[in-house]
Amino acid sequence: MWIPSSLAEVEATIQATWGETPDLVVCRLNVRQLKKDVLLLYLDSLADKNSINNNVLQPLLFETHDATNVEEVAVLIGQKKYTNLWSEVETAVFQGESVLFIDGEQQALLLDTQGWPQRAIAEPQVESSIKGAHQGFIETSGKNIALIRRYLPNRELKVKELIVGRRGKTKVALLYLEDVTHPEVLKELEDRIRMIDVDAVVNTGELMQLIEDNPFSPFPQFLLTERPDAAVSNLLQGRIVVVVDRSPSVMIAPMSFIAFFQTIDDYSTRWMIATFLRLLRTLAFFIAIFLPSLYIAAISFHYELLPLNLILTVGESREQVPLPPILEAILMELAIEMLREAGLRLPAPIGQTVGIVGGVVIGQAAVQAGLVSNIMVVVVAITAIGSFIIPNPDMSESVRLIRFPMMIVSSLFGVIGMAIGLMILVIHLACLESLGTPFGSPFAPVRFRDWKDTVVRFPLWTMRSRPLSAHPIQLKRQTKTRK
Amino acid sequence: MAMTRIPQNEITIFQYVFFIVGAQIGIGILSLPADVAKGSGTDGWIAIIFGGVLSIIASLIIVSIMEQHPQDTIFDLLLRYFGKWFGKLLSLLFSLYAALAATTVVFTSIHLVQVWVLPQTSNYWIMILFMIPGFLAARQGVRILGRYAEIVFYMTLWMPLLIAVPLKDGHLLHLLPVIKEGWLPIIKTVKQTILSFLGFELAFLLYPYVKEKHLAKKGIIIANGISMAAFVFVTLVGFIFYSPDEITEYVWPTLSLLKTIEFPFMERFEIIFLAAYLFVLSTTGIPYIFTAVFGIAHVLEQSDHVRVLVVGVGLYIIVSFLYTPPFADLQAFSDWWGKTGTIVGYIFPVVLWLYMKLYQWLRGGKPS
Repeated sequence: MWIPSSLAEVEATIQATWGETPDLVVCRLNVRQLKKDVLLLYLDSLADKNSINNNVLQPLLFETHDATNVEEVAVLIGQKKYTNLWSEVETAVFQGESVLFIDGEQQALLLDTQGWPQRAIAEPQVESSIKGAHQGFIETSGKNIALIRRYLPNRELKVKELIVGRRGKTKVALLYLEDVTHPEVLKELEDRIRMIDVDAVVNTGELMQLIEDNPFSPFPQFLLTERPDAAVSNLLQGRIVVVVDRSPSVMIAPMSFIAFFQTIDDYSTRWMIATFLRLLRTLAFFIAIFLPSLYIAAISFHYELLPLNLILTVGESREQVPLPPILEAILMELAIEMLREAGLRLPAPIGQTVGIVGGVVIGQAAVQAGLVSNIMVVVVAITAIGSFIIPNPDMSESVRLIRFPMMIVSSLFGVIGMAIGLMILVIHLACLESLGTPFGSPFAPVRFRDWKDTVVRFPLWTMRSRPLSAHPIQLKRQTKTRK
Repeated sequence: MAMTRIPQNEITIFQYVFFIVGAQIGIGILSLPADVAKGSGTDGWIAIIFGGVLSIIASLIIVSIMEQHPQDTIFDLLLRYFGKWFGKLLSLLFSLYAALAATTVVFTSIHLVQVWVLPQTSNYWIMILFMIPGFLAARQGVRILGRYAEIVFYMTLWMPLLIAVPLKDGHLLHLLPVIKEGWLPIIKTVKQTILSFLGFELAFLLYPYVKEKHLAKKGIIIANGISMAAFVFVTLVGFIFYSPDEITEYVWPTLSLLKTIEFPFMERFEIIFLAAYLFVLSTTGIPYIFTAVFGIAHVLEQSDHVRVLVVGVGLYIIVSFLYTPPFADLQAFSDWWGKTGTIVGYIFPVVLWLYMKLYQWLRGGKPS
């Protein structure tokens, strides 16, 4: 539909299109420059009133030079567009722009006066860091892209914008380094996002689930982060950063398994300490999955594994416990999970209460009541700590979930069940792909050169090429500066 | 069809090497020291070296056969040279051989687990447990199996170190004198080592998937070399630790070696070792299951082998409900595998090679 040329018709169309929109401002003025009537249209709630008053209304009302058509109208806004399509007017109004209609003109002027409510840039909440930057992403994609651009003032950093969702019309921006990212990988991601046909994508997490390779895997195949520095570090490895408007976390794809266990602090800490921390996390990963099942296997199948002294201690603490080990373990694990979930959603002051109640009840009281054994409490506590060490919340949750089938299989088959469980995990990780690149890289397939930055972290000057997991097309990262 | 599928399904030369090593090191190595000791006493390790040389020769023949048609697996090759019906029959026989190998490995693994770790668990439960990873891995292609074999190889590198621990109580004197009864018993024992080296014949299936084909010959020599080194190492450790007569009394001397290892915080370490050894067994069993299923799917002209795999896994589970093989049956399985393996791995390549030469000569020297 074209924009009608007479203002009366425009007003009628507005009336017809936007009923029940109290925050719509329709303002008819007489402009001295044009010696004509104009109509200014914007959504009060999405536009910046100061900007409209100072940069639009003021020049329109008080500027004295003569203008003969739309292009010559003086307003103090840099970003202005012209359109003659009614649909574009609608889109613009909902983006917070203001539209200027002029009597007798087929064209309307779209002025960038966006100013919706937004949060200030703040410290990332979920992924806190000791030495990394203290700026986190917010809910406006433009600001988020700016945060990333600050790190990479480089023309190879490209931004490709797509619109997702029939009603939501969410802006999804793909950021990548054109000379590093593999074009096939980029195309795959772009195709998958273009295929999405939903009402609206509310959050990056939703987008991630709509495009992931294997929805039946317990593992996240893309990384969500709220840290610009982490996003940039991944960009430099040839990965693609997906910024979704209205969502404070960005998605990084393709991803490899081991990258979920790395933090940005690893690179700003000295390499020995970083390596130690990474080994600690790897250990924590195995403890979080296997410790309860190992304990169950040892006391229900293979007590001959344990030396006599240990057996006696275990036996003593289990003397009063009526439950078989698997039930005891599941009871305790569920209690911990409930505590965690309760603490997560509650406001901070009440959350503390939950912590105290939980700590007392599932700790000492449960043991004294004879419901669970001392050693089980220790095992469950260490397991919980192990799962909290994993830096990525998505991966940490996956690990906690995998623990339960492992416990069940070990209560049926002992260590043999655990070995088969691990085997299934290894096979699964060898099969899993992220955007068609191997998720298990550099372990399956094995790429020794990339092991420098996995469970260990070599000194930065030894990591001269980009890891192959995202199939970068340009490998060199730095020159040799030390022997 | 095969032309478009294979390039996406490539494996690297390392994956190819470890795939074959994985297929070779499996159940044979557990009893190998006792097997060769029965034949030629403590000179058995020399027989293993001879066996290794033989398998290298056979592997090289296989690779040179496959080189003639680099895009063909053995199943395509048989159809090409023997026509539709006879080719299919031979393909079926090859698949059945792989199925026999897989069955031997699976049932022996179950037996091992029952004897050493879970004496009260029924074999069908263990079968169901084993078939889960078996199904998950075998439904994938060669590429995933290659990745799996590779990562398992690195994951299990600590095992030989532990097997070496009993050496501190061993006596090198047990090995002397070398070649005490002449060469004849040694040469006779070579036959016993054949079963252990079987696995290289999977190159018949793997070759078209290898990315760096010019390295295929070197790769298969290295693969056989790694397996041979592992066999000789385990056998020597067994001979040095046990006395020459004692070792023949053990059914699985390699596992018995581990019984001597104890930690202050852990006794019966061999249970953990055996659980970890399941990974090694899986890289033997899964490739054979895959080969069998892939071959049968090829004979039935199905583009995807998953349906055959489902039937196969179902059969295994049903059979395990009805039949618990006693140890004698398992040995019969192994013997059969050894005999058919001699044909498939050593005689068949030579015959096929001669046949192909003759065929090409009759066609006027041009490869078809």
